[in-house]
Amino acid sequence: MASTFHFSTETPPDSMFSDIQSLNKFNEEQFSKLVAVVISFLLEPNKSSKLLGQLDEFADEQGVSGPALRNVVKSLLAVPYSAVRKNLSPSDLKEDFVNLGLSEEKAGYVSNEWKCNLVGLSRSAVGQTLTVNQLVDMEWKFGVTAASSELQQVGSTFIQMKLVVNKGNKTENVYMELSVPEFYSFLHEMEKAKASLEYFS
Amino acid sequence: MAVHQDTEFQHLNFLLKASGKDVVQHACEHAFLYHNVLSFPIEVIGKTADGLGINVRDAEKLLETLRKVIKHALYIGCTDATSVHAVFPAGFHKNLKELLSRIIGDKLDKWRQVAIENKVSQPKLVDFDWRVDIKTSSDTLARMSVPTCILQLQIEETASRSHLMPGMSTLNVELSKEKLDTMLDGLGKIRDQLNSVAARK
Repeated sequence: MASTFHFSTETPPDSMFSDIQSLNKFNEEQFSKLVAVVISFLLEPNKSSKLLGQLDEFADEQGVSGPALRNVVKSLLAVPYSAVRKNLSPSDLKEDFVNLGLSEEKAGYVSNEWKCNLVGLSRSAVGQTLTVNQLVDMEWKFGVTAASSELQQVGSTFIQMKLVVNKGNKTENVYMELSVPEFYSFLHEMEKAKASLEYFS
Repeated sequence: MAVHQDTEFQHLNFLLKASGKDVVQHACEHAFLYHNVLSFPIEVIGKTADGLGINVRDAEKLLETLRKVIKHALYIGCTDATSVHAVFPAGFHKNLKELLSRIIGDKLDKWRQVAIENKVSQPKLVDFDWRVDIKTSSDTLARMSVPTCILQLQIEETASRSHLMPGMSTLNVELSKEKLDTMLDGLGKIRDQLNSVAARK
């Protein structure tokens, strides 16, 4: 196995070859079902419990050992995962699978499925990209101050905002108050930022 | 707000010793400048005492009364010199009443603004900055070009000690294009509401 791989610069471990080769034992229907499970996990990477559930179900139905199936799927996931990362073409992916020992027909099927879901796969990869202090939610209210301890009649407008920020280990609520001119300048600046973002995307 | 006793108004008669209008004016300005602190600073009392040629204790009483008069005029919503007249009792020195009413009446608009700005509130948004970055590479994608917006908010916390400036906290939030769109959507709703309120007036 001296051939080079597109998805990895190093030669993959032997276990990966045997895992991928064991996939040849599945019939067409079983294989397509497994690929669908894998692709749906790649599209929604945070739903790992769903993946495990689907795999257990699959193992029960087909009468294969659960832990062994998990290992096989782990290897099967590794290839398209780094293929998305390195932006490989479907033919590169097919070549890699063939080199790993998968049959020509099955490798063709995987690369075709991958091609069909390419947009979704890259989008989920972008979504997974590290963001610092992500904004989760925003709530607001505004009102008019009618009176205060200093002024019997006021009538000044205020806007209160609550931002929910994901700080990694916890979400934090931040409260703040703005006057109307401050609000308009904030809105104006945010629109400028949006215009700038749209220019670059 | 304490009820003004005639005896308390006697303290204002110390102002009759003033050599000129500007001494009275300074006393009024000082009285308002420190309207929210427990006691006037010694320097201010000393300066007023020197200006009027009275002792320190009398000067403090004078400033204290002046402060109450100004706060009351502000609270009941006086707008000009004639409306301030009502604050003084019937038998009050006529010329001094005229002078104080004119000085206070002139300043009321400005003081009203100050009172609105300093009213009790949630933490206030003081300043904000933003920048737009392009993510070019990440652990999930080797090559990408995704714009992202970083927003820094400076928020003035509510003061916890009377003699200290309120603390500032800084918050950084990263917004993807979608998040910014959602946020602007919310801000747009506030603007629409504000506009409809303004139109109804």
